[in-house]
Amino acid sequence: MITNAYELIVAILSAIGVYDMILGYFQDMGMEFILKVIIVLVEIAVLLVFVLLTVMFLSWLERKMFAVVQARYGPMVTGPRGLFQPIADGIKLLSKEDIIPATADRWIFTLAPYIVFVSVLLVYIPLPFGESLIVSDLRVGLLYIIAISAVTPVSILLAGWASNNKYSLMGAIRAVAQDISYTIPLAITAIAVVVFVGSLSTVDIVNAQQGYWFGIIPKWFIFLQPLGFILFLIACIAEMGRIPFDFQESEQELVAGFFTEYSGMKFAMFFLAEYAHLFAVSGIIVTIFLGGWTGPAIPIIPIQITSLIYFIIKTYAVIFFAMWLRDTVPRVRIDQLLHIGWKIMIPLALLNLLVAAFVVTAGVI
Amino acid sequence: MAWISRNWTMIGIIKGLIVTMKHILQVGNRKTVTVQYPYERMKVAPRFRGKHAVDEDACIGCGICEVNCPNSTIQIVKYDTRWFPEFNLGMCLFCGLCVDACPMNALKMTGDYELADYTRESLVYGPERILFKKEVSK
Repeated sequence: MITNAYELIVAILSAIGVYDMILGYFQDMGMEFILKVIIVLVEIAVLLVFVLLTVMFLSWLERKMFAVVQARYGPMVTGPRGLFQPIADGIKLLSKEDIIPATADRWIFTLAPYIVFVSVLLVYIPLPFGESLIVSDLRVGLLYIIAISAVTPVSILLAGWASNNKYSLMGAIRAVAQDISYTIPLAITAIAVVVFVGSLSTVDIVNAQQGYWFGIIPKWFIFLQPLGFILFLIACIAEMGRIPFDFQESEQELVAGFFTEYSGMKFAMFFLAEYAHLFAVSGIIVTIFLGGWTGPAIPIIPIQITSLIYFIIKTYAVIFFAMWLRDTVPRVRIDQLLHIGWKIMIPLALLNLLVAAFVVTAGVI
Repeated sequence: MAWISRNWTMIGIIKGLIVTMKHILQVGNRKTVTVQYPYERMKVAPRFRGKHAVDEDACIGCGICEVNCPNSTIQIVKYDTRWFPEFNLGMCLFCGLCVDACPMNALKMTGDYELADYTRESLVYGPERILFKKEVSK
């Protein structure tokens, strides 16, 4: 039974018939661990390339959708329909001067964008891309995701404070207030799902959603907990800091929020982190509420490929919704945001958890 | 909290989402309003005030346009035995007073609006770049 990507790579190598040969070669030198390290590095490289390609595609998609909604063309010149625009943007950002303001705290200012990117990248570790396509099936996967997401506001605050700029600090304070007030309903609605599954592992959550009710309706948690799904979606959009909750950026009021002073490669890091976060959070929504990689099996094609395709389709549906919402609505006020977070979302999330716990204890499902 | 008890159904947001979805799916006549500028251009209005043009046969070099110009854009210079106006478009505000004042109706404004240049000197449009010859129908 293959459970994660490491074992999948080993199985593929064995199927080709080269694994024993390579293993023997390393065993002769008495260094099997080097082979393990190499396989893990290959995994990481595949994941990084996937994330970078996704980020490039998402930034193009976002601009293009925004343009279509506003009856514009959007990027058109570089490549077919402007598809290579992200590459051009990346090269431009890499070749720009890397400015550090004279009054900034140099170390923290340099460190902050990398912390943001790494904390977003770490979320991908327990994310099941498909049957056995997971870097590591942690037993505390969901807790891990929520804990790692809590690192992001810290690094945003570091970036805002180190910039020594009133707009940056303002944006950082807003981002932290928003993240703290929306992580609570996020965690509570996630717990309501965990109550049903009885496990924090993301793979167990997906496995619990396999099968159908009455032969038609898939056993996704969105149908069991529609309220929980809506709360989780709103909380996720708020935590990503996208319109209508983009207080960390607030471009009409705060120039560019906490990354006002950033340029060049460091700005590119924030940019990468933003879209990588969008994909990761959409993947989490899909994993918890939309059945993860489950879907009708197709004969001949191996389940790893079909499940990956189902996961990508579902994730892009969620991303599409987030972008659609961004193209439509304006930003709410900061006091309205906190009102929604503390006075509506948290009581509703607690109610959701209470009902879920009651249903499970009573043994209805 | 009044605003949320008033808007709890979120009808406004849903209506807005429907409108944007119609744009995404291209329902109805929702053509792109912008153009791919360097490759295609919008038609300018017939009375658009762009770069000047002087009718070579009609102009008598009287200098009334020079007097009427509010920004001293125009100077009368000698060109090939005759006198013609010279326009320093860096100072021109495209008001069209010179066109109104011309006694021979020799001045007109074309639809040419791509006048950006690298130096101030190249913005001075002498008679060699301004003059045109009217086609005389026989």
